[in-house]
Amino acid sequence: MSMLSLQNVSKQFGETRIIRDVSLDITPGERHAIIGPNGAGKSTLFHLISGKYQPTSGKILFRNEEIQGKTPFAIARLGLARSFQVTNIFPRLSVFENIRCGLLWKEGFGYSFWHLLGRQGELNAKARELLVEIGLADRADYPAGELAYAQQRALELGIAIASGADLIMLDEPVAGMSHSEAESAVALIRKITEGKTLIMVEHDMNIVFDVADRISVLVYGEIIASDTPTAIRANPKVQEAYLGEVPTASTDSISDEKPEDIDGA
Amino acid sequence: MKPLLQKSAVWFAYLGVLLGLPLLFDSILAITIFNQMAIAIIFALSYNMLLGQGGMLSFGHAVYFGLGGFMAVHTLVMIEYETVYFSIIYIPLIGGLIGLLAAIFIGSFSTHKAGTVFAMISLGIGELVAASSLIFVSFFGGEAGVNADRTYGPPFFGVEFFQDVEIYYLAAVWVFIATLFMYLFTQTPAGRMANAVRDNPERAEFIGYSARRVRFISFCASGFFAGIAGGLFALNYEFITEENLNAVTSGRVLLMAYIGGLGYFIGPIIGAVILTLMNSLLSNYTELWMLYLGIMFVLTVLFLPRGFAGFIMMHRTAWIRGKLRSLLLPYLITGVPALLFATAGVAMIEMLHHEGEAFHFLGLPLDSANLLHWLLCAVVATFAYLGCKRTLPQLQEAWESANAIDEAGEERERS
Repeated sequence: MSMLSLQNVSKQFGETRIIRDVSLDITPGERHAIIGPNGAGKSTLFHLISGKYQPTSGKILFRNEEIQGKTPFAIARLGLARSFQVTNIFPRLSVFENIRCGLLWKEGFGYSFWHLLGRQGELNAKARELLVEIGLADRADYPAGELAYAQQRALELGIAIASGADLIMLDEPVAGMSHSEAESAVALIRKITEGKTLIMVEHDMNIVFDVADRISVLVYGEIIASDTPTAIRANPKVQEAYLGEVPTASTDSISDEKPEDIDGA
Repeated sequence: MKPLLQKSAVWFAYLGVLLGLPLLFDSILAITIFNQMAIAIIFALSYNMLLGQGGMLSFGHAVYFGLGGFMAVHTLVMIEYETVYFSIIYIPLIGGLIGLLAAIFIGSFSTHKAGTVFAMISLGIGELVAASSLIFVSFFGGEAGVNADRTYGPPFFGVEFFQDVEIYYLAAVWVFIATLFMYLFTQTPAGRMANAVRDNPERAEFIGYSARRVRFISFCASGFFAGIAGGLFALNYEFITEENLNAVTSGRVLLMAYIGGLGYFIGPIIGAVILTLMNSLLSNYTELWMLYLGIMFVLTVLFLPRGFAGFIMMHRTAWIRGKLRSLLLPYLITGVPALLFATAGVAMIEMLHHEGEAFHFLGLPLDSANLLHWLLCAVVATFAYLGCKRTLPQLQEAWESANAIDEAGEERERS
């Protein structure tokens, strides 16, 4: 059984076809990276899977259940969590509250207005544990919006993990980070996604080839190759798509600012 | 255990103040004002459930207050004719239930989006209800409103509510209960997710919550408590008119919450107290009190965006570091000319208002026809302004040194 399966998914905005007939299967426990030049539709693909956009045609199956057309919160409840290209936290809540909010649904609190959060020992303990895991325990009471950038990204990761999802989707988790920040972010990602399925969009080839078991290359809305890192490196179509450049393990790309994908705006 | 004890101490103090006020000030005027405050506190707190905690800017919150109030008055009439018969202490609950029903109905479509969409719908609904209050005369009583007599109900332990002070004690208990429950609401998953949705509705959806549903729950709770305030209003005044559910009342509750401070639970309480005082005391002295209220609102938005509660909380760091006292003198040095400037300004505004007639301002006879009086005010204002400007850097310096981050202070703050 595949964790996530995209079957002939297409997305059109007006006349523009952003995603063209994409099919993709991701097995449980897999670490899958999606790469491709700017504007290839990587973020759109994420938005389609997580329910922000609806596909124009095709099917998306999460654990054999069709999820296209469902709302983001319904999909999240099934066990799919995502992070965003732009940092997406609850800036005025404390770091601790951010994590605790992430836990609430999975822990069965729903929309309750008859439970006092302060009394939920187990919930609070779990939130604190997660804070330690993402290395923000000493920042627990700070407003999340006041954290440093890398810490905010770590917090966002924490919120995604808190929901107890089995499929984690990360949209450029290390974008805009310095080399050392990126390194510790990758270590954190490895640690907390242990045993879960991971899909990530990332521009940094070092990280992609380091983390991923399989890589899909998206060019102009089409997946031109989907294979192991070694095979991807040797694939002539991929080399061509990157304008003759082999996606090498260059180091300077980590902190490169990159313009947003056209669909990311 | 200790924080729990501390917390309950705060609540006991609150109850103590509420119940003790009429012992300290027992004039008829004071009791009248306290009753208005009690109503305003519940109303403003309920408003902040929307704006401060849920990020929903409403221009029509008086609808729930007013509908609750109208139903409460009608219930009083029913008690009078013994259609129903129960003690009037439960009347605010009737108001609350009507507020809740109205909120369930209106919230079902208005909470779809926050921001401008929500604000515009709230404005539209507010106008709609205010307009229909003049159309459906049997329920709203037209321009005259509806009235009732609260004394027909069965006595509550011998109390028949002939006097305002008896209503005050009833109101105080309701204020306490309503405040407590509104506070507890902020501590529940629904209340916390309301903050989360305010901050970032998109993210909230991706952790499994429907932003709309979260807003809807806050909206209903807010309508319920606004209705309770309306019910208390009905008990206190024994009449209610269209004015109590129109845009003016909606605007006033917004001012209360904002001036008090949206970001703090206690903010709207402070705002309700300040505005009620201004409303009832200042209006005795000047017809221009609405103008001063407007000026105060603008100044608050400009200089104290977190309201009076925010201003108080700004001093927390200095207080923890034991440096609050070092601010006292600089505050005085800048504060006195600032006050003088304001006074001279107000004097000139009053002279403009009392054109061609003599009047007394703070005990001083002023005459707008007398050029000397104008000159005097202008000179005082100018010097006070200069004095303010001169001393402001000192205040800033004192502020910075009181809040300066030193290692030891940092440690103490965390512990």
